[in-house]
Amino acid sequence: MPEIKVTPLGAGQDVGRSCILVSIGGKNIMLDCGMHMGYNDDRRFPDFSYVTQNGRLTDFLDCVIISHFHLDHCGALPYMSEMVGYDGPIYMTHPTKAICPILLEDFRKITVDKKGETNFFTSQMIKDCMKKVVPLNLHQTVQVDDELEIKAYYAGHVLGAAMVYIKVGSESVVYTGDYNMTPDRHLGAAWIDKCRPDILISESTYATTIRDSKRCRERDFLKKVHESIERGGKVLIPVFALGRAQELCILLETFWERMNLKAPIYFSTGMTEKANHYYKLFITWTNQKIRKTFVQRNMFEFKHIKAFDRSYADNPGPMVVFATPGMLHAGQSLQIFKKWAGNEKNMVIMPGYCVQGTIGHKILNGQRKLEMEGRATLDVKLQVEYMSFSAHADAKGIMQLIRMAEPRNMLLVHGEAAKMEFLKGKIEQEFSIDCYMPANGETVTVKTNPSVPVDMSVNLLKREMALGGPLPDPKKPRSMHGTLIMKESSLKLVSSEQALKELGLNEHQLRFTCRVPLQDPHSDSETLHRIYTHLKSLLKGYTIQHLPDGTVMVESIVIKVSSSAEDANAKILLLSWSYQDEDLGSFLSSVLKKGLPKM
Amino acid sequence: MDGDCVSLLPRVCDVLAAPRSSLPDDTSLEKLLDWFTTFSKSGVSLLEVNPCLQGFISTVVSSRAAESSIISFALKLTGLVAAAEDGFRALQANSVLDLAFNPQHWREDGLWDDPCVRIGWIQGFSTMLQHRQAFSFFVQADSIKPLLQLQTDTSLFVASAASQMLAHVLMLSHPLLSGFNGKEVDDKSSSSSITGLMRPAVIEADQDVAAVVTEILEYLKTRMLPKESSQLHQSQQILKLLALILSQAGPSLRDKLLLFLREPLEELVALNYSQLTRPLMDVILAAYSSIRGDEKVPDPILCHLLSVMLNQRKPFDRIHAAAAFLCSGHDNQIHMAQSACILLLPMEIITGLTLLEGNSTVKEHRLLMMEQLQSKISCISMICISLKHIPKITLMAPDCRPCPPAVVVAAVLALLRLCRGLSPPSLNGCVAVFRNVTGSGKVQKCALEALSALSSSSEVSVMLVEVFTLLIEYLNHPDSDPTMLQKSYQALVQWIGVCSNLSSITNQLKEDLTQVVRKRACDMRWEVRDSTVEFLGHLAGLPACRTEVGGACNAAEYLLGGCCVTTPLLVEALHDPESYVRASAVSALAQTMTHSWQEGVVPTKEQAEIVTQLLEMLSQDTEGFARRAVLQYFITWFSSHPSCTSSPLLMQSVRSVLLQGSADLDWEVKVHTLDLAELLMDQAFLGQHGYTKGLESHPAQPHPYAATAKQAYTLTQRSDLLCALDGLVKQGLLSVLLSGLFDCDRPVGLKACRLLIRLKHVLLLKTQDESDAVKTDPRLYCELLSQGWAQEIRNVLGTEDRSNETDPHTVTVNVCNLVTSLDLEERLDVLTRSSDHFYNSPRSLLQDILTASAAHAQQDSQLKEEVIVDCY
Repeated sequence: MPEIKVTPLGAGQDVGRSCILVSIGGKNIMLDCGMHMGYNDDRRFPDFSYVTQNGRLTDFLDCVIISHFHLDHCGALPYMSEMVGYDGPIYMTHPTKAICPILLEDFRKITVDKKGETNFFTSQMIKDCMKKVVPLNLHQTVQVDDELEIKAYYAGHVLGAAMVYIKVGSESVVYTGDYNMTPDRHLGAAWIDKCRPDILISESTYATTIRDSKRCRERDFLKKVHESIERGGKVLIPVFALGRAQELCILLETFWERMNLKAPIYFSTGMTEKANHYYKLFITWTNQKIRKTFVQRNMFEFKHIKAFDRSYADNPGPMVVFATPGMLHAGQSLQIFKKWAGNEKNMVIMPGYCVQGTIGHKILNGQRKLEMEGRATLDVKLQVEYMSFSAHADAKGIMQLIRMAEPRNMLLVHGEAAKMEFLKGKIEQEFSIDCYMPANGETVTVKTNPSVPVDMSVNLLKREMALGGPLPDPKKPRSMHGTLIMKESSLKLVSSEQALKELGLNEHQLRFTCRVPLQDPHSDSETLHRIYTHLKSLLKGYTIQHLPDGTVMVESIVIKVSSSAEDANAKILLLSWSYQDEDLGSFLSSVLKKGLPKM
Repeated sequence: MDGDCVSLLPRVCDVLAAPRSSLPDDTSLEKLLDWFTTFSKSGVSLLEVNPCLQGFISTVVSSRAAESSIISFALKLTGLVAAAEDGFRALQANSVLDLAFNPQHWREDGLWDDPCVRIGWIQGFSTMLQHRQAFSFFVQADSIKPLLQLQTDTSLFVASAASQMLAHVLMLSHPLLSGFNGKEVDDKSSSSSITGLMRPAVIEADQDVAAVVTEILEYLKTRMLPKESSQLHQSQQILKLLALILSQAGPSLRDKLLLFLREPLEELVALNYSQLTRPLMDVILAAYSSIRGDEKVPDPILCHLLSVMLNQRKPFDRIHAAAAFLCSGHDNQIHMAQSACILLLPMEIITGLTLLEGNSTVKEHRLLMMEQLQSKISCISMICISLKHIPKITLMAPDCRPCPPAVVVAAVLALLRLCRGLSPPSLNGCVAVFRNVTGSGKVQKCALEALSALSSSSEVSVMLVEVFTLLIEYLNHPDSDPTMLQKSYQALVQWIGVCSNLSSITNQLKEDLTQVVRKRACDMRWEVRDSTVEFLGHLAGLPACRTEVGGACNAAEYLLGGCCVTTPLLVEALHDPESYVRASAVSALAQTMTHSWQEGVVPTKEQAEIVTQLLEMLSQDTEGFARRAVLQYFITWFSSHPSCTSSPLLMQSVRSVLLQGSADLDWEVKVHTLDLAELLMDQAFLGQHGYTKGLESHPAQPHPYAATAKQAYTLTQRSDLLCALDGLVKQGLLSVLLSGLFDCDRPVGLKACRLLIRLKHVLLLKTQDESDAVKTDPRLYCELLSQGWAQEIRNVLGTEDRSNETDPHTVTVNVCNLVTSLDLEERLDVLTRSSDHFYNSPRSLLQDILTASAAHAQQDSQLKEEVIVDCY
């Protein structure tokens, strides 16, 4: 029985880095190739030696598909393609392809800033990797090779994020990547066809959460920023160059406009222009509202947000600054934080998750005294706020997607084990399908029952109709008899006569024979007659003849009797039948093996 | 161990041992273990310094409520503690080890089902096996049985760790194996195991140990053969283990293993399972790898196995086996030649060229191979394997290789033509197979790569024209995807690079190349434009080649008609919408110009215009890649010019570059700006006393008793130094260094700090004995603004600066005072460390664990928003 195998190398019962191997119809596909920012050594990347040893990735993998530009989904890609060595096709959407290098460069900067980092890639490697990428359009079926096809669907989450439908023959898998089922300020909601995949591999970050409306969080965010500005404080928002930053920029820009606020808003990295350029370029990937208003006013052309110069940090008065990197690892965001941390009027808003080993992580956990160079400590007096703006489907959203796609099996990744366990129970209960949640390194094998499409000859169909059967109906399957011809890669069911003709073969009759020993104290002719009588009483409605040549015929089955030379009572019955009567022949031999009824 | 850490650890242990403990993130436990491992490797007893660990292990191991991740951590820690004999004894005294390493204990609570507990068990146990008692414990606990079971575990990670531990156990106990003479210890296996742990000093022979070894070997022997096809996975795992053992074993163990496992191995090889070809070859090659130079004849069992593998019925498996053997590079000429023939066979069939004339072994396989090549999937796969390995065949000794390298090149070219339909299939070739490769991108990419690699084979230069012709056709073809075009360019550069004589390239070919490069430079796809621009750069960087008139010429000039074609294309590419292409264009321009720079040729008007454009790019380009490339351009120019000061255009540009580069937002542009500043300093100060070129830290101290004519030296050099400094200040160098010093990006600050220290040394050594008049020389002063980094410097300097009379916002400072007041050495010390050295330290980790636990408790009581691990 064919099967699909899924092995997470990352994102199996964790949210560290996504890297999932799928084997389907003899094809091997890698879904996402992420990195874990919490490690400084090789452990940050998936261990590709488990895929195949000695760097034979190109021979093993048929393709790599990247769902979106977040580093926990694409951060290991240049390492894999340029350092481990993978030369095959890599698929991602157009926006992901454009934005990915920016974030990879952002990450490279962090690694250079830290000392003792090993195995980081160069800019040239990022570029060479990107040159191998084949861009995907939404809803366009891409033929990877003769058998494997993929199709991208809108996933929300971030600009360019896609879910992907993978099909080999009649087997299929959908991988969601990260997705969001509710539209936000600049992106729409995820959507997929009722494609009924054999497995739906879904993220489950918020597996047990029903998230409050994003509007509430946005209101809260604006309120906090406004209060801080009103009391003359400075607000620092550490962000990664692209993604959440743009969402928050739209939010502040609109608010500033509405409230007629004068305090400056700065974006520190010099990436505003570039980031916004991509949002403008890929306007079709944003939500309906942004697309509609685009003609009158492009939401990404910010009036209030200006480029930041490091000298502004010392300027008196309130201001809002977006600075990279997002976890206060190093660089500009950290430098500004150090300057502003001592003033309780100031505020830092962390709009996302921070890994251990960063200042962002420490302050989110409530640490108020931070160790600095030269045995100094930094008193964190400024207000620290955490507001998750990440756009993931919550428990309700995940169930909604299952209803949309109607999968035969469900597989959860990108979540915590305990939360997955809870959702798994709910899914199995509500949809009566199997739900899996493999740990990293564990393989889930799902048996599939693929339907193989077969062409049918018109003659055979006409003959079937002539027999008075109902008209063909896809909802009412029924069995048909004919000869299956495999020609090149197509299958065709035809009548046996047509098959002989098409294949240029001669017809041969095939007969089966068998010998049945029987103890019967009568002459051979009497025994034969007894057989005739016995069968006549047993088989109503069959043509049974006792022929003068000493045989009994039941349809095409011929029965003869002979006795052994040593023992006249020991008879040997010879049965012979054509292959069309195989069932009846087998039945008769089993009947006669039991002996004849006593007189 | 840091005293603070020791004091924090007991509380951390309490937090971790508590049920439902909350951790900072999923990396914390591994990082904690890293720290313990480092500590334990330094030779100090973990338990002695941290007695709380014993209580922690004991609590977790006997707890019914501990989470599997904590149990896994505790098991690994147990192994680490018990790896030292005192730790082992202490844990054994409390029966902790019996409990921790008893799988049944974990099974009772269903925890064994969690792969992380099984991993913890294996890794803990494996780490512990450092001494005799630990090994005896392993033997007596009969732990070999669960370990063998784990070798075919459902988790890849568990199975792999179990295999590694089994190999480790076998290496430890092999000298005791019955019939294995203890004196006959292999050098290789006695050194260290795969886990990097040292083998126990002494392990006494006893029956139990021998039983363990026997059990492993029996396991290998009995489980190797699959009874049905569903057991193939198990056989694969066994073969992986065997390969792992053989790769670590010395000759003695190897020979005995092969002898012991001969029967199942031979049977397995004969069974012809395709799925086992690769693992079987790994076993054979691992055994081969342990053959030492002094062993003249390889093991006959090994030879036999290899022969069978190379004569398998299924062509697909045979070609895999041949590829694996060829890759291993062993000095076994018979099998090497055979492998070469196997790999060339599909090429011969498909192209119809004679590559294997009169080879009898191949004839037997030909029909089967032809049949297999009819299937599209296996055809493409086999051709690709063949292409990947044929360059190695051409490097074989002439008497060993089946045909001359030029014929192989011809075959690859023929294949590439067939793929594109550029030539009809040969009558000798198989037409059905031809259909399979037509249009296959995979085959074409492999073939182009093979063609590139074949350029370094001997006797192939005769094929240059043919290669050239085909590659131009490929570059021209509308069906070529960006990767194919990139590979075609790469192949072209490779061939031009190795062929010193390009006289055979006809004018028509040169014209064709020029046309196609022009066409591809304006391709719609940025990837293609970038590869084209990169090609032009690589071509310019190639060494001079010989031409038909016998002279030497630059390849780019000879093939593309020189700068009149290349430069306009590259200048055009400076305006490309894609920043990668703009950056490549700048780099290619630098490569194109290098020759004229080296000769000190006066820049033409066109070159001056390029410089203007580049400076414009530096100030206006929105992307870092392009701006970085501009900096690199000026660095190359500066470093390749014989006398920079004689080129006013260069010196003028350098000032603008320094000014703009140091104010850039991209950290790499700033680092490159400092690289350029370093070149300026080298030029200005080289030869000055106290200045050392390129030495990153402190300059060499003069010998204390060295006799130096200080007076004369100072007199002759003083004025030069001040002039040089004055020149540098005017160029803006000091601003670049000072602004870099206060930059938020560590590499920028570090580079600037190192350069300032060098400046400081040269200045101080010169001025320390000078008169006051010299010290107050106006050339030793510079001006600072009151904003940004300058303000930071003013803060550091305090009141010692003096305000400028004309501009109150500007202060004038003495450079000598400045460089001494900045406390550069201390700053260097800080900058040399990782930017996260505080926050990624063990102490920080311990604090984070404690804070996370407190925060978790607070969240529970105040219902604060939970920080959910999501994405970045």
